Amino acid sequence: MHSQETTVPVNADIDIVTARQKGRELARDLGFTSTDLALIATAISELARNIILYANSGEIVLSVVENGSRRGLKVVARDDGPGIPDIERALEEGFSTSRSLGLGLSGVRRLMDEFDIVSEVGNGTTVTVKKWRL
Amino acid sequence: MKESVQNVLQEEYTSALKNYLIHPGEDGLHRAYAVGRRALAEEFGPLEMAMLHHDALSGLLRESGEDALHVVKEAKNFFVESLTPFEMAYRGFHDATSALRRLNEKLEDEAKRIAHSIHDEAGQFLACVHIALEEVARELPPKSRKHLEEIRQLLNQVEGQLRRLSHELRPTILDDLGLLPALEFLAEGVSKRSGVPIAVEGERGGRLPPAIETAIYRAVQEALNNASKHAQASGVTVRVKRNEKTVVCSVRDDGVGFDAAAMLARKGGSGLGLLGIRERVAVLAGTVQINSHPGKGTEIIITVPIEA
Repeated sequence: MHSQETTVPVNADIDIVTARQKGRELARDLGFTSTDLALIATAISELARNIILYANSGEIVLSVVENGSRRGLKVVARDDGPGIPDIERALEEGFSTSRSLGLGLSGVRRLMDEFDIVSEVGNGTTVTVKKWRL
Repeated sequence: MKESVQNVLQEEYTSALKNYLIHPGEDGLHRAYAVGRRALAEEFGPLEMAMLHHDALSGLLRESGEDALHVVKEAKNFFVESLTPFEMAYRGFHDATSALRRLNEKLEDEAKRIAHSIHDEAGQFLACVHIALEEVARELPPKSRKHLEEIRQLLNQVEGQLRRLSHELRPTILDDLGLLPALEFLAEGVSKRSGVPIAVEGERGGRLPPAIETAIYRAVQEALNNASKHAQASGVTVRVKRNEKTVVCSVRDDGVGFDAAAMLARKGGSGLGLLGIRERVAVLAGTVQINSHPGKGTEIIITVPIEA
């Protein structure tokens, strides 16, 4: 029923709200608890925020994933920005102000079950996260 | 400064919540998250968030009349959303604590490895040197042999010192016999080197979890080093007391004392040892209390809960 993807272009703060909303709707359909919905929305906000802060524009793609009998939500955040020169460091420290507060990408990693990041300097960054229904 | 930030955030929270109650939707929830994120960056804690929410809500409830129940219910979503950045930070701290715990274990393994190298490898080299000297001695006239004998004495001292250092670095006695015997051994060594008498008191009791024994041993090691090097103490007492739930270890000296608060506030420098004690103990959910005043000696009290 959720075979297609929902793509939300991210260019301005208002798009963050749209991405959160689409993500929350999809997650609610999947039967996530209300606290999980809040955490998923937060993860989407952090990802969208990163796109605006570091790449100016990009997109967030939401879809349902399946693994055997388990179903989950997949969020892909993609941008064509400058890329992250040192992913490990970005994950460990978070960026600038979020540093040491555990926000940013490192925070997203902790809110979701799976986290994957591909970044090439000059070729943008793609972050893929998944959260499975328990 | 903080008060004005408090006011700004209170206003922001209240107006965003009010808006959300009129137009419930993602926009309002996003604002909740944004306020929470900002509050976190301003070093607010979850308790301050609870107060923000309470103040905003009680103001709105006064205006809402019979709709109170609905307001409370809707406001819950907003409140939860505003706390999500704190959830992220909380998970981050949790990860950092376990990373620190693993790091301590790694350091301990490393100390063990170095201790074994000193003991076994350096010991073996020295044994070879002894044999080589023996051979040389046979070819020498008796008068020069006496000279060699002196060298051999010195080598024996080096060997003894190396053995002692390797034991203190990672005392097998701690693994084999437990905390109190290890502390007695440590105190004896430090006392011999520094000339300061050190008494160790306490009941032996059963073994404690290895992480706790190691942390207390390290803390006492640091405290004894401080006391013997800087305190100009004429005596130090180490006391270990335990019951079912906690183990308490104190190290008290009668030396010159220091300004503990100033020492801990200072970053780096000679306070690092104290910080080291604190971190090791904090990872085990324990506490470190330092009582010290210039001229009145120093007492360090370490309390660690024993995990069930």
